[in-house]
Amino acid sequence: MTDVTPERTKTVLIVDDSRVSRMMARQYILHLQPGWNVVEAGTGEESLDKARAALPDLVLMDVNMPGMGGIAAAEQLRRLAPALPISLLTANVQSATRERAEALGLGFMEKPITEARIAQLLALAGG
Amino acid sequence: MVELSELENDALIEIFNIGVGQAAASMSALVSEEVRMSVPSISFISRADAARLLGSRLAAEAEAPDRICGVSQHYEGAFDTDAILMFPEDKSLELVRLMVGETVPLQELTDMEQEAMCEIGNIILNACIGTLANVFEQELRGSLPEYHVGTSDEILGVSGSEPDSVVLMLHIDFALDKHQILGYVAFVLDISALHDLKEQINRYIARAMGQA
Repeated sequence: MTDVTPERTKTVLIVDDSRVSRMMARQYILHLQPGWNVVEAGTGEESLDKARAALPDLVLMDVNMPGMGGIAAAEQLRRLAPALPISLLTANVQSATRERAEALGLGFMEKPITEARIAQLLALAGG
Repeated sequence: MVELSELENDALIEIFNIGVGQAAASMSALVSEEVRMSVPSISFISRADAARLLGSRLAAEAEAPDRICGVSQHYEGAFDTDAILMFPEDKSLELVRLMVGETVPLQELTDMEQEAMCEIGNIILNACIGTLANVFEQELRGSLPEYHVGTSDEILGVSGSEPDSVVLMLHIDFALDKHQILGYVAFVLDISALHDLKEQINRYIARAMGQA
């Protein structure tokens, strides 16, 4: 008889100051992966606290937010958890933002949030 | 007022066509419908004239013509501008409904109307501005989106600009499969910003002609 260790439930941290965007991302994640956990943060600062508590398997990070902003928050999260997949999910489609994401080892996905885009992002966490 | 040559005007329209194409793709993904957007014209006019023009166009289209909802974002960098996306106020809830789907109750929908409009503005304005920045090979740093409701003059004045400041008016006709929704995008620039924009257009033209 083989021991089967149940796989830990995966957690996605959505960081976005827009409640509507968080709601849409949550809805698509749970439609694609009904068993996963979704944790939300409305600012970069809050995302650091939530990440420490929830130990997410994937972070979806908006860029333009009040306070420290998504790129600074992602840099700090990267230091906390170097292997954690983090993707920007942003309306900022400028090449400068894409290049900054690439330089920091972050994924990049354009808004608007769609189920197809969320599916691509969940694949980063094995979804 | 700064005048654009025929070539500069042509280049700016071409750049906006690319930006609007990007915005149309974004809008289509947002509302899950085919969206056609066109850029029939751009014009540089005073803020006061822009307000009059908007007011008269909306009067022909909307049920409550004197009320507009607008989402504005301030951008700084290669040139400074306030970008404003405007819709007749009576279309706002319809747009939000298309964005979040039929399952959200009306009360909740009304509660989140402003936030949802900000997100729509954020996506559409960034699609236009992002294209400009990429074409100009520059970066434009944007503020958070702000939501406003008021007359066309009040909305165009949210930046605190003077009535004689210049508005680059871009008339975008959003044609959705099942909904006829007209929207407008305006960029408010002062004289110095207008010179900076002209310089960026000329650098773009020079690159396009292999001179840079």
